[in-house]
Amino acid sequence: MQPGVRVGVIAGVVTIFLAAVGLIGNFTELNIIGEEVTFAQLMLVMIPLVAGFVATAPKVEAGELVTFTPQRAAMVGAVSGAVAGAVFGAFVVFVDAFGVERVRSVFLNVSPVLMDYLTSGRPALTAAAILTVISAIAGAAGATYRALPDAVRRPLGSAIWVTLLFGFLQRIVPIALDQLEVERDWLYSKITGGLTWVGAIVIALVAAGISVLKQQKGGAIRGAIVARRDRGAEGPRITPLSIVLMLVGLALVLIAPQVLGSVISDVLGTVMVFALLGLGLNIVVGYAGLLDLGYVFFFTLGAYSLALLTGATLNTFIGSSEPVISLNLNFYVAVPIVVVIAAVAGVLIGAPVLRLRGDYLALVTLGLGEMIVVLVTSPWLVPLVGGPQGMRDITSAAIGDFGFRDPRHFYYLALAFVALALFVSSRLASSRVGRAWTALREDEQVADAMGVSTTSYKLLAFAIGGAIGSVGGALFAVKIGSLTPASFQVLVSIQVLGIVILGGIGSLPGVITGSLVLVGLPGLLREFEEYRLLAYGAAVVAVMLLRPEGLVPNVRRSRELHEDELDQDRWVRDVVLDEGVAPTASPQGEGTG
Amino acid sequence: MSPALLEVDGVTKRFGGLSALNDLSFEVGEGEIVSVIGPNGAGKSTVFNVITGLYPPDEGDVRLRGQSIVGLSPNRITRAGIARTFQTVHLFPNMTVLENAMVGQHSRSKAGVFGAILRTPAVRREEEAIRERARECLDFFGSRLAGYRQDQPAFALSYANRRRLEMARALATDPTMMLLDEPTAGMNPSETLELRDHIVRMRDELGLTVLVIEHDMRVVKGVSDRVVACDYGRKLAEGTYDHVANDEQVIEAYLGRRHEELG
Repeated sequence: MQPGVRVGVIAGVVTIFLAAVGLIGNFTELNIIGEEVTFAQLMLVMIPLVAGFVATAPKVEAGELVTFTPQRAAMVGAVSGAVAGAVFGAFVVFVDAFGVERVRSVFLNVSPVLMDYLTSGRPALTAAAILTVISAIAGAAGATYRALPDAVRRPLGSAIWVTLLFGFLQRIVPIALDQLEVERDWLYSKITGGLTWVGAIVIALVAAGISVLKQQKGGAIRGAIVARRDRGAEGPRITPLSIVLMLVGLALVLIAPQVLGSVISDVLGTVMVFALLGLGLNIVVGYAGLLDLGYVFFFTLGAYSLALLTGATLNTFIGSSEPVISLNLNFYVAVPIVVVIAAVAGVLIGAPVLRLRGDYLALVTLGLGEMIVVLVTSPWLVPLVGGPQGMRDITSAAIGDFGFRDPRHFYYLALAFVALALFVSSRLASSRVGRAWTALREDEQVADAMGVSTTSYKLLAFAIGGAIGSVGGALFAVKIGSLTPASFQVLVSIQVLGIVILGGIGSLPGVITGSLVLVGLPGLLREFEEYRLLAYGAAVVAVMLLRPEGLVPNVRRSRELHEDELDQDRWVRDVVLDEGVAPTASPQGEGTG
Repeated sequence: MSPALLEVDGVTKRFGGLSALNDLSFEVGEGEIVSVIGPNGAGKSTVFNVITGLYPPDEGDVRLRGQSIVGLSPNRITRAGIARTFQTVHLFPNMTVLENAMVGQHSRSKAGVFGAILRTPAVRREEEAIRERARECLDFFGSRLAGYRQDQPAFALSYANRRRLEMARALATDPTMMLLDEPTAGMNPSETLELRDHIVRMRDELGLTVLVIEHDMRVVKGVSDRVVACDYGRKLAEGTYDHVANDEQVIEAYLGRRHEELG
């Protein structure tokens, strides 16, 4: 019973926290499905539900895996839900007794509106009792969900989360559908803003159906992969199917902005700018293992040097003026120059901090990153970069008459540079240079003793990482067309580092995933803009605790782990064969090779 | 007379008030196998670290073929032809066995950033040559580091194989001189015997000069042309194994009669 109580208390505190930061009170009107299911309600139900699910996780006791019987699971779940509800109910009673206004003077979001919503006008104690009961039911439901057989649980799970995802994307999916001229009133209601019940049910059924199909086919596909590996195939095989899939994927990426409209294209453009920054930082942190907290330096450097090279003007109170240094180069001539400037700056920054390691390096780079922010804001450099007013009239990188300011055009420009950076990164990773970086990261002293010039390779990492990051800055300048110091804060460094860590340090697909999750999702869920950093922090903490290798770990390492498993499989099969209980070696997937 | 391959000339190294090395001098001639012996804390590993550039000496000089190598960074010294292993095994644990050995070839190859990105035919040939050379070095240890093991991460190796891989990696730097720091530490008797043969083969087959720190006297006896015994950072004796093993001071240092005398 104890785990149920503990998880319940945590869940209750989480609910109080969410209420206190306003995540419940501000979203009582955000309809997810019909008018009945709002985001606020979802949170009040989902938290105890998840608590019930977590509390009944099988655990290892005295070396044995202990699972709950369904009845006991439901009990434990109900208890944890009830505790969560009771803790939160106690908060409601406390606020009511202490006075909403007094609490509000500290916690701005604990408002009479929130209290009205939570109590529905009933006395606080009654409301607390109701919350407890609802939470207990939700907790029991969560526990029961875990106890369901896989065949039911998986489709049900995907039905729920896919439906909720579509509910949350209510500002985005309808726009995309409109763009495609697809009738969508049956799916998203124009009145409530959220999914209609019909739409929700259809989505849930489709998601469940796909999940069932995956379950049936998934085993066969996995078997085929194992069989093919067993035949000694080295590396990924190119099959007709994989070519078709790649072409379809490529086509989707290429037509995306046309289909998705300018709002989503705009978000994707930002995603790609951050992906470039992530790819650059990945070389410094992921490949060479140098923790750089001042990466905003290169972002800023790239943006401002591009602006100066391509004839942008300074914002002044009376209009605009020429900066003291101004060239009028074409964007495509300027970018290579920006890259060179950034690479040189990378070496200059790297040189004094080379002797530092780990935490010390992180602190010094943090300071260097802050310096450039101070520089672009300072009155001293106003004639050059405009100070707080910033710069404007930045080139749209036009080729002929085709400018890239429009988000749907910018997408392609950014895509080209991301593709190039991915290419460069992957080539470097699998080369003599990449090997030297890996050695440096794993053991600097030994790398040195094995003939790797640690100085040169650290500087090289700073230079190349900086160069890629500066392109991100240059593209950012083109994207928004004007620069103010507000865009260049230490926060950028942290965000980019978050992308690299979340995705999986040293992993290229990880960087892309990281940018999609940490930049793309918040961009799409505009309602939650205020809570972006909260979610950011929560996401990074969660990943570090639950999956420290990142969402999409470094391919090389995961492949190695996978091959170990295959070796084991092979060994087990050989032993079984030797002992004469031969299962027929599965020849599945023979035809696909 | 041409100078010996390696000359350690009056080297002193202090850590705070402690002299880890005290006016230590010895030479290693081309093609010799020389053992350095001495009790724990005698300064044996410090000599290695001074030779390979990890620590600068406070006094004295280290010369390779008559040229001073003091003040060069470790990677330059490796390039000059001195390879080493470490007392406690230091591999790149998350790189594969083959990649570990390939790192050794770093200073003998030159593909840079642009080569890596463009992957020109010359770069591809060089990469192939690096791989080939790394395989050769792993094959020096017979079947121990062969086959599927080469694609396993280094951390998956057994202890003895880690030691072998460290030596293979050092071999891959194409050295003229090999410094082995307690190569048989932690190995069982049969592995120790095998390793003794490897040390001799390094000289006989690969033409290397070997300087080895070793505690196992059977190995020292079996491989050494000459033995240098030290204690407290000073050289106690130098010469053939039999000469050093019968030296009064060396026996004292090992058996601790000095304490008796002082008492």
